[in-house]
Amino acid sequence: MPERIKHAPLDGKTIRQPKAEIHLIKDQCKGCGYCIEFCPKKVFEESNEINARGVRPPKIIDESKCLLCSFCTAVCPDFAIYVVERKNEEKNKT
Amino acid sequence: MAEKKEYEPKPIAEEPRIGVYVCHCGLNIAGSVDCGEVSKFAATLPHVVLAQDNRYTCSDQGQEGIKKDIKEHKLNRVVVASCSPRLHEPTFRKACEDAGLNKYLFEMANIREHCSWVHLYDRQAATEKAKDLVKMAVAKAALLEPAEEAEVPITRRALVIGGGVAGIQAALDLADTGYQVYLVEKEPSIGGMMARIDKTFPTMDCSICILAPKMSDVGHHQGIELLTNSEVSEVKGYIGNFSIKVLRKPRYVTKDCSACGECAKVCPIVAPNEFDVGLAIRHAIYSPFAQAVPATYIIDMNLCLNKEGVVACDKCMKACERKAIQYEMKPETAELEVGTIIVATGADVFDPSVLPNYGYGKLPNVITSLEFERLINAGGPSHGHLLRPSDMQIPKRVAFVQCVGSRSDRQGRLYCSNVCCMNTIKDSLLIKEHWPDTEIYVFYVDIRAYGKGFEDLYKRARKAGVKFIRGLPSEIREDKRTHNLWLTGENTLQSELYRINVDMAILSVGLESRKDSEMIQRLLTLSRNQDGFFLEAHPKLRPVDAATGGIFFAGCAEGPKDIKDSVTQASAAAARAGILMAKGKVTVEAITPIAFPDKCKACGLCVKVCPYNAITLDKANKRINVVEAACGGCGTCAAECPFGALTQSHFTDEQIISQIDAVTEHDADKKIIAFCCNWCSYAGADLAGVSRMQYPPNIRIIRTMCSGRVAQKFVERAFARGAAAVMVTGCHLGDCHYINANYQTQKRVEKLWKKMEENGLRRERLQLLWASAAEGERFANKVREMKPVVESVTPEEIEKAKKVFEKALRVD
Repeated sequence: MPERIKHAPLDGKTIRQPKAEIHLIKDQCKGCGYCIEFCPKKVFEESNEINARGVRPPKIIDESKCLLCSFCTAVCPDFAIYVVERKNEEKNKT
Repeated sequence: MAEKKEYEPKPIAEEPRIGVYVCHCGLNIAGSVDCGEVSKFAATLPHVVLAQDNRYTCSDQGQEGIKKDIKEHKLNRVVVASCSPRLHEPTFRKACEDAGLNKYLFEMANIREHCSWVHLYDRQAATEKAKDLVKMAVAKAALLEPAEEAEVPITRRALVIGGGVAGIQAALDLADTGYQVYLVEKEPSIGGMMARIDKTFPTMDCSICILAPKMSDVGHHQGIELLTNSEVSEVKGYIGNFSIKVLRKPRYVTKDCSACGECAKVCPIVAPNEFDVGLAIRHAIYSPFAQAVPATYIIDMNLCLNKEGVVACDKCMKACERKAIQYEMKPETAELEVGTIIVATGADVFDPSVLPNYGYGKLPNVITSLEFERLINAGGPSHGHLLRPSDMQIPKRVAFVQCVGSRSDRQGRLYCSNVCCMNTIKDSLLIKEHWPDTEIYVFYVDIRAYGKGFEDLYKRARKAGVKFIRGLPSEIREDKRTHNLWLTGENTLQSELYRINVDMAILSVGLESRKDSEMIQRLLTLSRNQDGFFLEAHPKLRPVDAATGGIFFAGCAEGPKDIKDSVTQASAAAARAGILMAKGKVTVEAITPIAFPDKCKACGLCVKVCPYNAITLDKANKRINVVEAACGGCGTCAAECPFGALTQSHFTDEQIISQIDAVTEHDADKKIIAFCCNWCSYAGADLAGVSRMQYPPNIRIIRTMCSGRVAQKFVERAFARGAAAVMVTGCHLGDCHYINANYQTQKRVEKLWKKMEENGLRRERLQLLWASAAEGERFANKVREMKPVVESVTPEEIEKAKKVFEKALRVD
């Protein structure tokens, strides 16, 4: 099949792409960097700030890239990240 | 495998008694060659006891004549001077066998393709050349020896590469005949192009409705093993005995999948579906289309969040009730042993974004005919509504532009793609069927409605009010506000300019060879024509056979064709493969190497150059072993041996040298001696003849099976005998019929060039040409180019070359 794809999918708008809301509890982070390493969409990077534990917590590069797999929540040893679906957008769609 | 027995020279009991037959071939030869004179000349040659010319030697009468003469005149060698041995050698060999003469005692002189047809307007030169060719053939014939052919068993299993409609048909036919079939398809589902089309012309049948039952038959057939998402990665062996390796890429979903689709619903990844040309979306876990066979879902690991053993997202796994998802599946290699191969790899569609004047890819309402098929298809992204992409409205005015990427010497391809005219006519009727008020314009160069029922469909379209305008638009421009399109061009029937406003334009794109057909070509050692499609063994009489034994073509891989032709060819290919497998055995030509153990120094050079690893070195006994069944018959080993301890049966050193000597006996300083390989350059020279490409008559062609057979000593001998120039020609590097034997040719010619330059000889006098069977023009051009070189060679240069290569005249 051809790699040539020139037109946008016609039904692209009908698909409900969940929008994520990522919550970072920065002071709980011990800077292990697991979330940065394991996020499949590479949503996080190391920030420049120093938190209460004296380490650099992650920061979010692009929240819209998140697909809510919640792997960051699973790998975070300090329960410092959780992701929820953005509610206001849900209302618009349904 | 049987090992070759040690060579024992057979005592030739009798003096050669050669019969020469010069064929007029109607006027094909007699038109530019004086056949009577050639046959009189032949009678004067040594060992010739009978020489005659007749109108059609290949006719029953001609063959009967040969048989009678063999008995009456006790002929023990036969030479026929007529067409190419690639055409009629089997015919005459059979006649000889019928008369009790071993078929390897027959030799042919090609005075049609290589003489009369390429020198149509120079009767004298053509006659002289024909005499030379006959003389060469007679010289070789005197040294011919009888040979017995080895039999090779044929594995009764077949491989079909490509699961489009052609591959499906071929696989079903073979499996129904009772053979085990492996069908390899690189996509996740079989079905190919036909599965994406809405209706078929000229009957307007629903495409998938007639294909889906066949697809499901393939899936359920006991005799067919379906390998989807797989690619052929290695092919070894020869006719009847191919060893194939197939790379099976993992689906990450096991056969337990019930295709319920729950997994796709939860997959967070969204991407354009290639099956719908990107007009619909799919998820990372998907089934390309509803009727897919196998129906098992597949995970696109390039998109999936799970990589390298890290399971980040397990939504699909959780959704799957049957626990069919396995993220850790690994690619596997399947090893198959088959006897025949059918290549049904299909074609790609032309990408019109290279044509800036049509704005495809920039203007939203310019689409291709394949995208149109998905739009008008009830199973497609718009559920059968023809929606224009800019505003999702049904267009009122539609234009079709023909020959996009076809029949163009500027951009796109030179050839006609066969299917686009009828496809457009069908498409226009489909629009009229759903929305009768739509205005439809078809811009064309010629409408080619050449098949059964095609003209009727064309008439129906015109009756339905489709406007056919001759003259392609020179450009398509967009109204920025409405996204409507302006097509401007010249109506060449009415000699006036048009400027037509439409809502949507459909580019009727042509077909081109698959991008990966080069890989298939190398794997299977096939040839392709200049358009990139696979080349058949004979365009008229062996249209589905590849030149390589045991391989057949079906569908668009061989050239653009519609569904009916693809299916016809697929059944033909299945029948051809079936013939071989039903016989269960095949004889291989007795052109294997002959070893002279007393001369062998066990240096191992032949072992290194053999492309088939058919020679093994027996160090303890200081000798080599030749495994005849594995030998391909290129003769590279014989050319490599520095001690004359190896030669090739039917192409022995003495035979080839006798041909060289025959040419160089008179006027050597005006001649080119060319060595042509049977599969590419000799066939290319044949094509030049069939196409009547005229070139200078100073060339004399010696046929070898492979350019790798051409030993340095042959070239040296030609120069030592005073030849003006020598040409060594073969298949393109990488396309060698004998895997890679022509790399040895290149090495040898480079060595010769070096030697010539060191001794102050012009290297132009030795030419190396790679020309495929489709490149007749390339061959003819080279001979034309050589003419000034030959004319510029001075007698001093000839003498110098004679001195430099003096050693080559010594006979071992």
